[in-house]
Parts: sequence; C-alpha cells; structure tokens
Amino acid sequence: MELLVFVAASAMVLGGALGVILMRNPVHSALGLVLTLFGVAVHFVALEAHFLAAVQVIVYAGAIVVLFLFVIMLLGVDSAEDLKVDGLTIQRPLAAIIGIGTVAIVSVAVLRTRSTIAAGPALEASGDSNIRLLSRNLFSDQVLAFEITSVLLIVAVAGTVLLTRKQSGPTGARKGS
Amino acid sequence: MAVSELAGLFQGDLPMGSPMVTGDPLLDGPLLWAPLIVVAIKVLVIFVLGLVGTMFMVWFERKVVAGMQNRVGPNKAGPFGILQTLADGIKLFFKEDLLPDRADRFVFRLAPFLAFVPAFLVWSVIPLGGDYSGGRDGIVTILGQQTRVQLADPPIGILLVLAMSSIAVYGIMLAGWSSGSKYPLLGSVRASAQMISYEAALGLSLAAVLVTSGTLSTSGIVASQTTLGSWNLVTTGFIPFIVFLIAATAELNRPPFDLVEAEQELVGGFNTEYSSLRFALFFLAEFMNTITMSAIVVTLFLGGPRPPAIGNTALTIPLIPGALEGTIWFVLKLLVFLYFYVWLRATLPRLRYDQLMNLGWKVLIPISLGWFLLLAAIRVGDSNGWNVIAVVVIALVSLGLGYLLFTAALRVSSRQRDREGAMY
Amino acid sequence: MIFAGSQSVIAQINQWVAPTIDWHALAPELVLIVGINLVLFIDLSLGAAKKWAMATLTGLVFLAAFIPVVTLAVIGDASREMFDGRYVVDGYSLILKAIFLLAAYVLVLMSQNELEEGGYYQGEFYVLMMCSVLGMVMMTSARDLIAIFVALELLSIPAYMMAAWRKRDSRSNEAGVKYYLLGVFASAVLLYGMSFLYGTTGSTKLTDIGASLVDGDLLGLQVLAVVFVLGGLAFKISAVPFHSWAPDTYEGAPTPVTAFLSVASKAAGFVALMSIVMLALAPANSVVRPMLWVLAALTMTVGNVMALRQTNIVRMLAYSSVSQGGFILMPLVVIGTGNAGDSVLRAVIVYLLIYAFMNLGAFSIVIAVARRTRSGEITSFGGLFGYAPGLAVLMTIFMASLAGIPPLGGWIAKFNVFKTVLDAGDTAAYVLALIGAVNTVIAAAYYMRVLRQVWMAPAPDGDVSPIKVPSSIQAALAITAVGTVLLGVLPGLVLRFGDITDLTGALAR
Repeated sequence: MELLVFVAASAMVLGGALGVILMRNPVHSALGLVLTLFGVAVHFVALEAHFLAAVQVIVYAGAIVVLFLFVIMLLGVDSAEDLKVDGLTIQRPLAAIIGIGTVAIVSVAVLRTRSTIAAGPALEASGDSNIRLLSRNLFSDQVLAFEITSVLLIVAVAGTVLLTRKQSGPTGARKGS
Repeated sequence: MAVSELAGLFQGDLPMGSPMVTGDPLLDGPLLWAPLIVVAIKVLVIFVLGLVGTMFMVWFERKVVAGMQNRVGPNKAGPFGILQTLADGIKLFFKEDLLPDRADRFVFRLAPFLAFVPAFLVWSVIPLGGDYSGGRDGIVTILGQQTRVQLADPPIGILLVLAMSSIAVYGIMLAGWSSGSKYPLLGSVRASAQMISYEAALGLSLAAVLVTSGTLSTSGIVASQTTLGSWNLVTTGFIPFIVFLIAATAELNRPPFDLVEAEQELVGGFNTEYSSLRFALFFLAEFMNTITMSAIVVTLFLGGPRPPAIGNTALTIPLIPGALEGTIWFVLKLLVFLYFYVWLRATLPRLRYDQLMNLGWKVLIPISLGWFLLLAAIRVGDSNGWNVIAVVVIALVSLGLGYLLFTAALRVSSRQRDREGAMY
Repeated sequence: MIFAGSQSVIAQINQWVAPTIDWHALAPELVLIVGINLVLFIDLSLGAAKKWAMATLTGLVFLAAFIPVVTLAVIGDASREMFDGRYVVDGYSLILKAIFLLAAYVLVLMSQNELEEGGYYQGEFYVLMMCSVLGMVMMTSARDLIAIFVALELLSIPAYMMAAWRKRDSRSNEAGVKYYLLGVFASAVLLYGMSFLYGTTGSTKLTDIGASLVDGDLLGLQVLAVVFVLGGLAFKISAVPFHSWAPDTYEGAPTPVTAFLSVASKAAGFVALMSIVMLALAPANSVVRPMLWVLAALTMTVGNVMALRQTNIVRMLAYSSVSQGGFILMPLVVIGTGNAGDSVLRAVIVYLLIYAFMNLGAFSIVIAVARRTRSGEITSFGGLFGYAPGLAVLMTIFMASLAGIPPLGGWIAKFNVFKTVLDAGDTAAYVLALIGAVNTVIAAAYYMRVLRQVWMAPAPDGDVSPIKVPSSIQAALAITAVGTVLLGVLPGLVLRFGDITDLTGALAR
C-alpha cells in the first residue's frame, strides 16, 4: 500500500515536472507544476505530515501557481516563445549534458546511500501531534528565522510595487548641478 | 510509543481543557469488512445527499426569490415544483455539447471537473450529525461499529476545506481561459482575483476560531462548542463570524459579489462557452458550494450538529432517537444560512469591482487580522495569568494606533495618486 | 547515533517552553527593524523636497545599531547563545556586525547625492538597504541552516531590486534580472544541498551536522550536499566559475549599489561560507578543501586576467572584486591543516574589513569623478591630479592598497592571508600561495594603469575646472581613507581584534 502511494505520487511529481519543461503552452506548463506540487503533497501525507500537505496545496497550488497563471493570462504570453534562436550553439548540448549528469550523479548517490542512512525518529501521527510538533519547533528553535521572514515579505511587497510602478521617480527630484 | 499514549500526552495541554481525542474510532481497530462497509455507506450517502441537496437548493432558491418578488416560481413539475431542477438537469443532459473552435481542448474538458470535485470533497470532513446525548460526543453505532457521522476526520480537517476552495479557483480560472474567448477570460480573471483576495480574510477569521478551539479537526471544533455560551460565535466575539460570512459570500461568487457573471458586462461570465453537461457541472458546483460553505459556517461558529445547550441541559427533540437528532439540528442551522444567502440575492445590488477590492483588502483583512491579534493576546494573557482588562486595553490601544497609521498611510497614498494623475 | 536529537523530539511534544530571548544580544537586529519601519512611515509623509532626510535618518539608524554592538563587546566576553545554540552572539559575530554596519553607514553617505540627483525613489531605497543589512547582521550570528538561508535571502532579495533601481535604464534592468535569475538559481542549488545535509544528518544546526559527519566515511549524498552547498555559496561570493552575473550586474546597477554588492553582499556570502565550512563541514575536509582550492585559484586568476582587459572602471572594479574574493577564499582552503588553525578566521575577517574600506573608497572616488565626467571609462580619469589633486591622492591610496603595496591596509590583509596559507605547510598550500603571489603581480598591473591615467595622462576633454565633492562623499572618503591607511600603519589595532577562537571553539562543545 505504502509502495503504491509512493509510486503514484512520484509519477505525479515526475510527470508534472516533465510537463513543466516540455509543454509548449505556458498555461499547460503551469498546470504541470500544479500536478508536481500535488504529488509532493501526497508524499507529505504518506509521511504523516498532514499539515505540510495542506499548506503545500493551499499556498503553492492555491496561491502561487494561480498568480503564475494570472500573469500568463494577463500578459497574454499564450503562444510559445520561439526557441529556435540560440545565441551560443554549444549552450544547449552542454546544458543537456550537465542536467543529465546531475540527475545521474544524484541517483547513484541516493541508491548507494539508501541503506546506510539511519531511520529518523518515528513520528507517529496521532491526532494533531504533527502540527503541534511543527509549531513548537517553529516558535522555539526557529523563531528568529520565522519572524525575520516577515521582514522578507515586506521587502518583497514594497520592492515589487516600486519596480512595477509606471511613473518613474519622484516628480520633484532636483536635477544635478 | 503507542498511539494512545501519545494521544494521552495532549490532554492536559489543550487550551479549553476538554478531553478531545479527535479522529474517528472506526479506523482504530483492524480494517475488517464491517468498517469498510460503513465507510462505503458513508461515501454513498454523502454522494447522494450532495446531489439531492443541490437539487433542493436550486428549487429553494428559485422558490424563495419568487416569493420575495411576489411571483409563484416553479410550480408545475412535482409537488410545489420540487422536481423542476431534475427536469432542468435532464434538459441540459440532452443538449448539444459544444466545444468552441479556439478552445484549448484538454483544459476546456478538465475545468468543469476541477470545479465540481472539490465541492464534493469538502463534504467529507463536515460533521453531518451524531449523538450528543449522554456525553457520547457525536459517536454513533452503525453495524456494531462506533463511528462519527462524517466521512473522514483528518487532524487537519478545516485546512482541507481551504485547500479544496483554493483548487476550485482553478476550475473557474481555466474554464475562462480555455474558452478562447474574451468575456469568459475577463470573468475568470475577476473570479480568481476575487477568490484569492477574500481567501485571506476567510483564513484570518478562521484562525480566530482555531485559536479558541485549539484544534484543526472539524470534529474537535464541534466538540469544543458544548453549550450556547461556548459556541465560537460567542467565544470569538461575533466579528470573525461576520467577516467569515461576508468573505464566504465573496468566495462563492454569490450576490452581491457576483461580478464574475455580471450579465451586463460579461455576457455570462466564465462559463459563457459551456453548454450541456459541462455547464451542468459548473452549475451544480456553484450551488453545492453554497451548501458546503453554509455547513462550514455552522460547523465553525454554531456548534455543528450539537443541540443548543445551556449549562448541562441540552435542548432535545422528543420522540427522535439521539443518533438522528444531531442531523436534524444540523439541517435546521444549515437552512438558516441557505435562506440568508437567498435573501442576499433577492435584495442587494451588485458591488462595483473597486468597491469589492476595497472591502476585501482595506476593511475585512485589517479587521479580521486585528481581531485575531486581540484574541491571541487574550489567550497569551490567560495562560500567563495577566490581568484580562489590562491585556484588552493595551491590545486595543495598540491596535488603534496601528489602525491610525494604516488610515494615514491610505490617505497619503490616495493623495499622491490624485497628484500624480492617472499613472496607474 | 546520528539522530542525537530524537529523544528531545518526543520530549518536546508534551512540554512547551517559551524560548528565552536575550534582548540585549538581539538589540542590533531590533534597532534595524525599528529603523526599517520608521523610515517606511516617515518617508510616506515627507514631500519630495525633504526626501534627503531619509538618508540622514538611515545613517543614524545604522549608528544606533552600532551602539549595542559596542556595549555587547564591552560587557560580555563570553558568547551569548539563544535558541539552543542556533543564534550565537560572540566575538566573531560582533566584529562582523561592526564591519557590516560601518560599511552600510559609508554606503549611505555614498548614495545620498547619487539618489537625490538621479530621480530615484529614496526612502524605499534605504528601506531595502536596511533590510539587506539586517540580513547580513543576522547572518553573522546564524548557526543553523534555516537561519542562514533566511538571512541569505533577506540580504539578496533587496539587492536584486536595488540593482534594477535605475528603472528607465535598460542596463540597470538587465543587471537586476541577471542578478535575480542567477541568484535564485544559486539559492535553489544551496537549498538542495542543505536538504541533503539535513536528510543525512537529521539536524539543521551547524554543530550537530558537524558532529554527525564522519571524516573519510562520507556518504555519497553527503559529498553531493557539500558540493551543492559550496556551489550555491560560490554564486553569492561570485567565485569563478559562478561569477558570470557579476560584471554585468556591477556595471548596470547604480554605482552605490555596485559598491554595496561588491563589499557588503560579498562579505555576507563569505560569512555564510565560513560558518558552514568551519562548524558544519569541518569533518568533510576531504571534499571541501580541494573544491575551495580550485575555486580560490580559478577566482583569483580568471578575475585578474579579465580585469586586465577592461576599459570601464566599474567593470574593472567588478573583476577586481572577483579576484579579491579569490584571495579571501585562500585561507579557508587551509582550515584545520598544519598550524593554520585559528589564524584562518583572523585572516579572513581582517581581509574583509580592510577590503571594505579600500573598495568603498575606490567606489566613492568613482562616484565623485563620474558626477562631473558622466563617464565610466578609465580614460575619463585622465589628468585627475591636475584639477583634483585631493581625489587623485586618495585614488592612489585605494588603488595601491587594493594592489597590496605596503604600508597600506591591503598589504596587511594580503600578508595575513599568505602567512596563514604558508603556515599550513603542505604542497597544495604552497602551490596556492604561489598562484596568489603571481596574481598579486598581475593585479598590480591594472591598478597601476588607472593610476597612470590619474597622474600622467591629460584630461580627455580639456575640462580642468575643479570637481565639487559633496560633503557626504567627503565624509565617506575620509572614513575609508583613514581606515585604509591606519590599518596599514598600525595593524596591531585589528590583528588583536581579530583574535577569535569562539567559532572554532564551538566545535569542541
């Protein structure tokens, strides 16, 4: 049963990821991303991390990819970009080699390491233990990083608004003498 | 460490002090035939009830609106016209299934299901009934199995609802986009912007409930609302309830927030190009969402299927067995909200788009956030033994300061916008 | 045995203990956060004519944040730990915090006129800058992968936006986009490596990871993790071959931002690298050393060779800062070998401090001169001595210091680095030192080319009216020049200061 879930979720993740890079239409790519994120959410559920699964769906699938779609639809980049243009001809084969090489190295490393990694502490999900554990960790050991993230969000909002404003610079700016 | 031991650890730790072992006792034992059959029955019942309920809702809405407008409404098919929806459904079923030329074929076919499936799935976590007499805490016995009257009771229950509502956005958004037509696209962009905007207010007022209940599980939330005084409606201080109700209306794209299908501006909204069964799916999803959202409001704020109780004396309905009583209370509470939604539709004019966004971002989100912080401050003060009045006063003063800064910022920015002219 | 924390995980479930927070130790960060909000709100209500006040206010915030750093240094010599040793304020972090805040103050002085006259958004610029500095200040104390990552993002994301701050200029946009895309990619690589580290050791705390890794018996995944983490950080410090964003970004961004990126941002990357390499990856030396060795050698050499060919002063300084990064990497290569030991930290920190002074100084001069010449070419410095002798002398000081000529600060920095590397006393270290020595000579060539323009060439357009240097840039020049010279003449000031064993001491705990 566990294996079945794992295989299905992994198929979702990989299929979605392939879809993201292979689809010609950006909207389809975004949908591939959603599929990947769902697969990850399923993995989380299989690992008894229910809260993370829900947050994964709500935040990533529900908000972030929707915003992607928004941008795609509003900017009207429905048609695929012309991929024929290639500045340096060596780039693409090189990228392919590096990509495949990385995948190969990581897979070999994972396969060889598989049996030697010790099992983690058993997290039995009884009731909402998982959520409590997560929040405890977040609000004790990681509390500073957690709080500082709010500054990060403010920066992101403030900066984005300014960079996308049409009007350029304060009107009353003095000219250099 | 055994599951039960772990569960025991939480008990002393829960905010309200009530022993809440959430989860369904049905699945504690080995998975035999009887529990499987019970689960199968539950799935079937929810499926059928969902469809029948939606049919009823469509009829109910038409009938009530007709009454308010001094008309008769559907009255030919069946007694009181109650079979009118069925007739409409059959009609839709036999209509031609159109697929626009410029449509994105795969996504166009996918979208109705993305709207319809989440609407159904939400039903699985809502407590639909249960036996709350004699301290049975909503557990009933079916086929000799102890179980809850809800399909599933995951520890993250209420988050599942949010997750499903965020998936439903895809259905609408993709439907509009894949039609390859301009008005549906505008409708769907409006819809998804609206849903994302109001999801924030919805989530924040939900958080207020979670702070007082101390659990995410729907059955746990119901269990924490034992008496009328401990209904979350009261314990969270009404404001989250009101915000939730408004935000939920917007989430549902129902009047007065139905800009998605503003006929004068958008022909018919995101589903203009849909016909036949696919249209029926959107239609069903929309009405089913109304029912589920009302059910969620009932669960979160009005004690779900629990009978109203003052102190230890619960209001009981004579002659009805305890196991059914919960369902009756649930339906009664549900009907209040269904009527409320229909009432809104019949009486309120539609908002303008900027009014909608202003209401969502500048009124509802600040209010629900502020209220949530206030509740959290009271909770912290409570567990640290601080003086409640001092906590409330200090919290209110700082919230007031924050509000002043906020309005000042708004005023300055609108002044700058005026000065810079139409640069946006 | 790997999951030393597993008992506490279960224990955590039933008792909630609020984390103890040492407000004094957090004071620099808190002051910055208050400052961020203050500037945001005051900026909102200020008219365009009064925006200059924002620079002053920002400078004051940096100075205010400096106060708790000083009091912490004076009061407590013991390290203050928070959150189970995940956030540590000790000598190491205090010195680095001081460097960052000082550099930030100088940067505010440098940016003020540029921003006022260029028609940029000012208040928001300073807010972004403060956020970035906040990330750096946090980075110095972070001893946990998550905290390090958040700090890294907090310092990078504002920098992406600052690089694109000249909105109407397509080159500035290009700078921002390139920096953003590559920076995000680097973050992803870093995070991937971190996830492997966490997955194979079961902890995000640096010292726990260090305790779990077994030298000579690294798992394949752990090797990969180390490679990815180092690769991700190499992007941030623009080490070759991960430097490709640097020249374009440095050239396109507004000059004060370039100074910010090449000094503060880069230093923060080094801090992250140091913390991770010394605390977490010390047992993985067999992987870390060769990789850092190659990075250091490549970075120095490629940066220098490319710098030789540049005609644009900002681009030249960009490549020069790449190669200086190679020098800073050198001592890290010899961690834990021979007699190198604690002097590694000292060498890196001293180098960072002096590099901050001299590079900021050089950029200040570029800004001051470009106000008149409106050009970024090296030839535009022609005849500078004729009409602005003060600037010419200062430029000479900074260039000579960057080249490492005694008795200026840059010399002390380089001397320390070479001494540390040679102390390690094995062949690899000797070869690296040799490469470094050759590079020092190459570097001298292009720094001297600038000086030749300054002292010997005539003014390109014959305009020899004196340059008016705004008072804020004068102040920046004064601070950086005094720093550069003083540290060169009296190296004892800083060498004593950098005598830090806390970070390495933490390993033994």
